[in-house]
Amino acid sequence: MFLKIKYFFQQSWLLIVASFCFGLLIAVTNAAWSPRIEQNKTLKINNLMTRLLLPKAASFTLTAELEVELAKGKYVKTNIYKAMSDGKCAGWAFNAEGAGFADKIELVVAVDKDFQKITGFDCLASNETPGFGDRIKLPPYRDQFAGAPAGKLKLVKVGNPQDIDSEIVAISGATVSSQAVVNIINNSLIQIKKYMQEKGLIGNGG
Amino acid sequence: MAVEVNIYKKTVLAGLWYEIPIFRLMLGMCPTLAVTAAVRPALTMGLSVIFVLVCSNVAVSLMRNLLKPHLRILMFTLAIATFVTIADLFLKAFQPEMSAVLGPYVPLIIVNCIIICRSEECASKNGLVVSILDGLSMGAGWTIVLCFLASIRELLSAGTIFGMQVMPTAFVPWTAMSMPVGAFVTLGLLLGLGNSLGKKRT
Repeated sequence: MFLKIKYFFQQSWLLIVASFCFGLLIAVTNAAWSPRIEQNKTLKINNLMTRLLLPKAASFTLTAELEVELAKGKYVKTNIYKAMSDGKCAGWAFNAEGAGFADKIELVVAVDKDFQKITGFDCLASNETPGFGDRIKLPPYRDQFAGAPAGKLKLVKVGNPQDIDSEIVAISGATVSSQAVVNIINNSLIQIKKYMQEKGLIGNGG
Repeated sequence: MAVEVNIYKKTVLAGLWYEIPIFRLMLGMCPTLAVTAAVRPALTMGLSVIFVLVCSNVAVSLMRNLLKPHLRILMFTLAIATFVTIADLFLKAFQPEMSAVLGPYVPLIIVNCIIICRSEECASKNGLVVSILDGLSMGAGWTIVLCFLASIRELLSAGTIFGMQVMPTAFVPWTAMSMPVGAFVTLGLLLGLGNSLGKKRT
């Protein structure tokens, strides 16, 4: 028995020592850089939100956190930010995600202060086909959301993208990606709106 | 002394020409195809690989006399994974945009076979100086090919290099070049070119 243990350590002492040393190295690096990594993430979200709500918004505060249901039993953590300008609420922004064509799509969606109208969305992360699906980030597709009602949106294949209403015209050749964005916004917007009304953070009028 | 200098020279030349990773060894092909849609991500990827290659070569070279043959691959992977994690954290902290573009391909350097090949072939058999030189030259050789491939693809798919417009405005971008098919076609043509050039030399 003792011999077996001795043999084990003879063979593997280097591995044990090295694992410990390398583990320590990673822990130190991670401790040194993780604040910066967190800061980068917040900065990125803040930049996107500012772009979506400018010039109305001056600052953002994290107001609520919510687990949004993606599919049965699958949840994603959502941060809801309140945009303030001149001491008044100028709107809300939240992150949303869901399945895209090739990979998941992560969005930041901005709405006005009563959750009546969407003010816009932007991609935090996406991996759609270059030249086709990745045009969800560009006008005219993206611009259709600015001013659209914050309710159930519907994707149509034929229509005028200039008309701002609940009908979103798909990018030709990228129906799946177009549908994915609509689904993600529909899914999280409706759940978040309900949550906000329940909490009394926005009026029940909408 | 002369013998030592010869070994150094041989090591450097091996990485840059005679055993240049993509053309001669045919190693590290996955990132070659995946991150060469534009020059900036390709260069970032190349520099990360150079860092990991040099660091893991140093680590392996230092412990080469202690290695047990049946545990060596485990030790190589351990060292490589550590330095890849550090490189990944570094990019996330200081180059967040590039980190977002490269996505999972930075952690995937762990399974990049050039690095484990150099640990096995060179670092576990040679001293510190040769290992460092080998890491640098193999990494540089790989990065040069990567950037070359990426500049061809970026030029044809967007008309830009490093994000700067170089093609005339009348140029119609070839979207296919930024997709996987463009990577395969360009790489295939480059390999053919490399082989025909190599043949003439010998």
